[in-house]
Order: sequence, then structure tokens, then C-alpha cells
Amino acid sequence: MEEEKIKIAYYPGCSLNSTSLDFNVSIKRLLEVLGIEYEEIEDWNCCGTTPAHHTNEQLSSALSARNLLLADKMGYDTILSPCVSCYNKLGHAAKIIASEEEGLNDFELEHKRQLVEDLQEMGFKLKENYDFKVYTILNFLLKHRKLIKEKYREVTQKSGSEPPRILERLSVACYYGCALLRPREAEKFDDIENPTSMEQLLGDVGIGCRKFQFKTECCGAILSLTNKDLVLKLSRDILEMALDCGANSLVVFCQLCQQNLDLRQSQINRHYKKDYRVPVLYLTQVLGMALGLSEKEVMLDRLFVKPEI
Amino acid sequence: MKKQEIDLNKIQEELEGYIEPNMNYCCQCGKCSAGCPVVEAYEYKPHQIISLIQAGQMEKIINSNTIWLCVECDICSTRCPEKISIASIMNHLRVATWQKNTKKDKNIAKFYKLFNFMVRFFGRSYEPGLIMGLNVGTGRFFNDADIAADILKKRKIKILPEFVKGRKEIGKVTKKYQ
Ligand code: SF4
Ligand code: SF4
Repeated sequence: MEEEKIKIAYYPGCSLNSTSLDFNVSIKRLLEVLGIEYEEIEDWNCCGTTPAHHTNEQLSSALSARNLLLADKMGYDTILSPCVSCYNKLGHAAKIIASEEEGLNDFELEHKRQLVEDLQEMGFKLKENYDFKVYTILNFLLKHRKLIKEKYREVTQKSGSEPPRILERLSVACYYGCALLRPREAEKFDDIENPTSMEQLLGDVGIGCRKFQFKTECCGAILSLTNKDLVLKLSRDILEMALDCGANSLVVFCQLCQQNLDLRQSQINRHYKKDYRVPVLYLTQVLGMALGLSEKEVMLDRLFVKPEI
Repeated sequence: MKKQEIDLNKIQEELEGYIEPNMNYCCQCGKCSAGCPVVEAYEYKPHQIISLIQAGQMEKIINSNTIWLCVECDICSTRCPEKISIASIMNHLRVATWQKNTKKDKNIAKFYKLFNFMVRFFGRSYEPGLIMGLNVGTGRFFNDADIAADILKKRKIKILPEFVKGRKEIGKVTKKYQ
């Protein structure tokens, strides 16, 4: 019997829609390879990310919740939001919408009521109950590990199939950054000090990973726009540690980490008079290639540091 | 606007009342500060922020750079043995003083303002405008000029902004909060 198709709403968010198009495209191709149906949320808006959250939490909730309600209009309650910042904001908004008024303190109650008002002002008619499930790419793929394993078996059993050369030459360190820690209230799907989700997923497609001590060190995130030197230092330490661990590349699942480590690697080299050449690939690019996608299909050419090792 | 207009007592009450009532269990172990990625740049470290709040020295906190440099990575909160949510404290300090605080980091303030404005206007963030505005606005024209060429070469940036159809409704609501 054919299993029922998985259908989800997809929220790319602003970064994936522009500077991190490679992440976006590699996710979509991977979903297609896995047979997961997705539909982009129609007329989605920016979640407000750090600037909204750091200046007005009500603003942050209203911006994020609009996207959830748009997904609901399209008939979805499962939303994939790969960007961890968006995931964090959307996840938090989902929790507020689902919360029962009895359990809230005055502050939270006021926040919820204001949010409902704002959403009505945006023209939404609110239902009694909502149960949104918001995922980032990592916990989403973990949940559907079975599909990855099946697909891998299928690909490797094809006669004459050889693993892509590029993957054979990579010796990867998985870098998680601070992404797993939030949203604070979300159920943790991995050990936050020593996560292994990426190693598990890569292991499913026959890729071994180096032991890496800096898995969860922070890359400096959004401070790259305002305090560049600090970000360069934090990112340099991560690159250095990866090399010390015997890796020649990093695998990540956050576009901000990717940018700080890849795009800014030339700045790091100039600043510290170094000559790092550590490609920083998205998890979805690596998985995609292992499951038969070409380098072009996962947009490997968009990386600043080329994975030619 | 003068910083005196900020009601520090009220913020302190909010912090101790409902943002983080557990704050008083802080044993000053310093684990939060030990794991913080930006601690070197802070005028006050996370565990010092806690003791300053307890001592009622709110003025010192809001005059320092700490709350503006915090990237809200949440490492501090997850490692605290008393489960004190230091990151929530930081965010409340930011949100509560954002409008009137004259000592906030100028670059970050410009960035947030510009970003929020764009979202109100377009419904989405618009990176070329953001980068240009930030470089001009902070007087560091093309701070990232060295990588700008790389970005263009890889077509990593969209040239034209995208407009969300519902931006009018979004604008109505966001305007209230800016
Ligand atoms: S980790 Fe927690 S208990 Fe220790 S100093 Fe920081 S806030 Fe206090
Ligand atoms: S949330 Fe802020 S204070 Fe806490 S560890 Fe991260 S940057 Fe430091």
C-alpha cells in the first residue's frame, strides 16, 4: 500500500529568498527527492527577526503569526522554516497562539490579547484553536530519516552507481552553532552541548564525520553587520578548530553561520594573515548529492570557498 | 530624550516580578559568562548584570554596551544551574529601554531602525537597501567593500526589492510599534 504523501507549508524567509538562495534551492531539491510535497506560503512576510524582537516583542509576534495564519488558510498546520531565526520566531508565535489563557501570567496574557487584536486588524478571522507544528530543517529531516535511508538504499543499489567524487574527498566537521538552543520552550530534539543529529543524518548516507570540539560555539551571528571584528575572531576560531580536528570542510544548517564562515573567510584571511580554504557546505547540499543530485542542482557553485580538495 | 525618563524601578520590578522571578537564586557561579561568545566585548558580564539588578543599579546596566551586544544565543540560560533565563532578561532590558536609551550602540540602533522600517514598507527585508543604508548611516561607507564584489559575482543579492501584497495591513500594525 502506498503511504500517504507528506505535505507541508514552506516558509523560506528573507535570507533564503535572496543571499542564501543556494540553501533554499538545495532544500527544495532534497524535499523533491524524498517525495515530500511542499507549498510556499503565499504572500509570506518577514518574521522581523532580531531587529523586531530586540525592539518590540509585540511587533515580532504579529509579523511571525501572520505567516502562520496564511499557512492555515492554505490548509496546513505543519510549517518548515529552515532559517533558524525565523524558526525561532514562528515557533514562539505558534506557542502564543496555542496557549490557553488560564495558564498565562499577566504579562503573557496581555501579549496574547494584543496579538489577537493585531491579527484581526490585519484582516484575519481567528479560529478557536490552532495547533501549528513548526520545524527547522534539522528536526524535520530527523523526523523523516526513514525516507532518507530508503532513498539512499535505492540510489546505491542502482547498478553502476558510484558515490559523487566530491563527497569522497570531503572530511567533514559538523557545526551547529547556537541554533539548537532556541526556541527556549521547544522540545529539544538533540543534546544541546554535544549534538549528533547531523552526524546521524550524514551517517545514513555513508558519510563519516570528524570529532569536533567547537560544534556549538557561536559564530557571532548577526553582529557581522555591526561588530565585524568580533565575528571574524569567533569564526576564525571555528575554522582553526575544524582543521585541528582533521577536517577539511564544515557542514552547517544555518545560513548566518554559513555566511560568517564562508563569505567572510576571505576577510578572516586578510585580517589574520591566514590562508584558510575550508569550504562550508549546507547539510542539504551534502545530503542531496549523496542521494543523487548533481552539484549544479544543489547550487554548489554559489559557495565562496570552492570545495575542490 | 534624557535617559532619566526611563522608569528604572518599573523595569526592575518587571524583571524580578515576571520576566525571571528565579533571578534571586543566582549563586554568582559565572557559568553564564564563561560560555558567552561576546563576553570579551561586554562592559558588564552576564553574571554581573544579575548582581547589578539585584543591587538596584539599573542605571549602570542601561548605560553599558552589554545589552546591545548580546546576540541572544541563549548559551548562558541553558548552562545556568539555577535555570535563570539570562537571555530573556537581556531582551527585556533592550525592549524596555529601546525608545529612550541614549547610550545604545549606535550601529546596532541604526541597523534595527532601518530594518524595521523596511519591513513596514515592503513587508520583507531588502538586503541591498539594508547594506547601503547601514554603510552610509554609520559613516563607514562600504565597510564590506572587499566582499561586495564577491557577493555581486555570485549574484547573492537580489537587485530589486520584493513587495508583499498584504504590506498595507502589515504596515498598519507595525507602525504602532515603531
Ligand atoms: S549561571 Fe546562573 S547562577 Fe551562575 S552566575 Fe550566571 S545566572 Fe547566576
Ligand atoms: S544570550 Fe547574550 S548574554 Fe547569553 S551567552 Fe548569548 S550573547 Fe552572551
